[in-house]
Amino acid sequence: MRLYFFCIARAKNLCWRGAKTKSKVMTMAKRRILDRLTMAIIGGDEISAKETSEECIAAGVDPLEAIKRGAAGGMKVVGEKFRNFEIFLPEVMLAADAMKACMAVLVPKISEERKSETSLGKVVIGTAAGDIHDIGKNLVATMLSVAGFEVYDLGTGVSPKRFVETAEEVKAAVIALSSLLTTSLAYMEDVIKLLKDTNLRNKYYVVVGGGPVTPEWAEKIGADGYGRYAEDGAEICKKLVTEDMPPPLPKCIVEGV
Amino acid sequence: MSVETILNILDRAHTGPFCTVHDWDAKIIPSKVKEKLKEHGVEKTCTPQDPINADDGLVDEYFKAGFELAVDVGMLCLDTERVVKVTDTELKEVIRNAPSELPMGEGRDKIRITHRRPEDRHPPIQTCPLGIVVSEDLFIPLVQAIAQYRIIDLLEGPSLETVYGRPIRSGTPYETLAGRVQASMHKEAVWRAGRPGMGFDEVITSPTVFGQFGGYGVPGGFDPKRHAALILSPSELKTSYTSLHKVVHAINCGGFIFSGTFVLIGGYAGPPEGAALVSVASNMLQFAVHQASYASSPIMDMRYMGNCGREAQWANSVAYQALSRNTHLLTGAVTNQVAGPCTSMILYESTVGMMNLSVSGVSISVGPRSAGGKYTNYISPLECKYVAEVFKGCAGMKRSDANEIAKAIIPKYGDKLRYPPKGKSFRECFDLETLKPTKEWRDIYLKVKKEVMDLGVPLEYP
Repeated sequence: MRLYFFCIARAKNLCWRGAKTKSKVMTMAKRRILDRLTMAIIGGDEISAKETSEECIAAGVDPLEAIKRGAAGGMKVVGEKFRNFEIFLPEVMLAADAMKACMAVLVPKISEERKSETSLGKVVIGTAAGDIHDIGKNLVATMLSVAGFEVYDLGTGVSPKRFVETAEEVKAAVIALSSLLTTSLAYMEDVIKLLKDTNLRNKYYVVVGGGPVTPEWAEKIGADGYGRYAEDGAEICKKLVTEDMPPPLPKCIVEGV
Repeated sequence: MSVETILNILDRAHTGPFCTVHDWDAKIIPSKVKEKLKEHGVEKTCTPQDPINADDGLVDEYFKAGFELAVDVGMLCLDTERVVKVTDTELKEVIRNAPSELPMGEGRDKIRITHRRPEDRHPPIQTCPLGIVVSEDLFIPLVQAIAQYRIIDLLEGPSLETVYGRPIRSGTPYETLAGRVQASMHKEAVWRAGRPGMGFDEVITSPTVFGQFGGYGVPGGFDPKRHAALILSPSELKTSYTSLHKVVHAINCGGFIFSGTFVLIGGYAGPPEGAALVSVASNMLQFAVHQASYASSPIMDMRYMGNCGREAQWANSVAYQALSRNTHLLTGAVTNQVAGPCTSMILYESTVGMMNLSVSGVSISVGPRSAGGKYTNYISPLECKYVAEVFKGCAGMKRSDANEIAKAIIPKYGDKLRYPPKGKSFRECFDLETLKPTKEWRDIYLKVKKEVMDLGVPLEYP
């Protein structure tokens, strides 16, 4: 009888230790997948980011955890490396592409009520009408991705109407306008006019930047934010969406001056 | 310039290999740049502690690598997303046939842009200013005040803020009208300055095709026989219908072309070494694809959108020495100051930047970019005069001497490049009646001039 109870106890003990080991093995396995996801983002490997995200789902990793601890961790490293000029714009763009690929797999698996935790908000960005320059806009778009925003990049020469329509379609929080040509500045003002004329001004923040854009111009046209450099644009967007200041702001937030 | 060549280029813009703009920027350019830097053993050769290069072997290697990059990659046409490639033989022929000198302007104001080599004694040509925006009422007095300094050879800017009081909107008839109006105002200004024959490269107010259609080769506009048509393309290694329209228009008018772009450290070209390489390739491709008579692909640093810092100075010195040593092409460059008029900083930046371009064999420069080109009316004739004085005065200097002077001056402004002083507007630092600088601005100018002369910059005082 004593031997019987000893064996049961021993078996339970072994089961318990086995369960603890099994749990440790699961955690380590999850961590490895998340590390690989981080590396896929840092390396700008879209295919690997997609496949590793699918592995996360298959392995039972919480998709929100995968985004926050895996993918976002990678973007943080990328942002740091870019600030230190260890990598440059192309690497950041590829990292942002990899992030998009990962989000495309993971976000649909997140419950509706938790979806808002996947990003700081949506930003519609483009170069103003009549301007084909994109490098400044690309830089801001990637900095916004690094910062945790979901970015809808409309490209160059974007009409005011398209900015507003896209913002409505994707339910954006911010419309971000870039321009390198002075002759395109008027179109930035047109976006704000259009928002006012269609009673949408209090739905979207408008942030402006680019070579000829100045804080004075931003204030004059009624923009909510102006950034001198790309990282300033990301900082402003963070402030706008996290602080309790509905658009339009009484005074334009200016960064980098 | 020939119809056959532009037709060839247009054909390639429609039949060349397909590549999205995104892939070009994020994959093709960076990977090819890395490959060439590695193949030619010029990775990590940037020496910020010695911003003005004097290593001929290094620049010759950059030239070879840049030539190969130009042939391997070509230029992407943005509108068709097809690559316009040129062969090794074609590029060599374009370079061989490109002019080594070019007259511009007429009469007493006629000048000749000539090919220069590093440390060349022959003085270069200065064009002033860049397309800084200026209000309509100040345009003529400002240009007149710039043109009064005979050391300045050609004009490009400034840009008009409005046309008959209306904002100039890109892609609209306002631009077409602005092109013609700018031409009239420029010609009125130089006539008032007693320099009616000055040459221009235009139309800077409206860099899209509409401005050129409106102001170049039309009655009363810029004369194609003595003024250049200006093409500005986006970075890196890109052309577009806008640029190609301008080529055709220049051919139609019997004109000639000044074609350029900016290469960005930190952008698609990556590090300073990548930017130097892309600048070499880009300069050559302006001649092949845009049929330029002279071309410009200077390097900027996207951390502060200027190029008077160490890395950008190094990259520009290498790129321009590579071209001037190995070709007879007429190369142009730009010093991109970030400080504004009526500051010591803009003069320090100009000293380093212009001295570098002069000793690196650049034929022609356009500038200054006062206050980074950001603020309306923040441009004055005095910094225009200064850039010309340094650019020409340093002809014949040794690169090693220029480097030592640059090392002494850069610390005076290097930590202010991201947040520079705005300075003062034209109205604030110039007397609009006499068109002379205020005492304050003149005193700053004389003080800095004396200081840099004491360091060894060969200028005349006052």
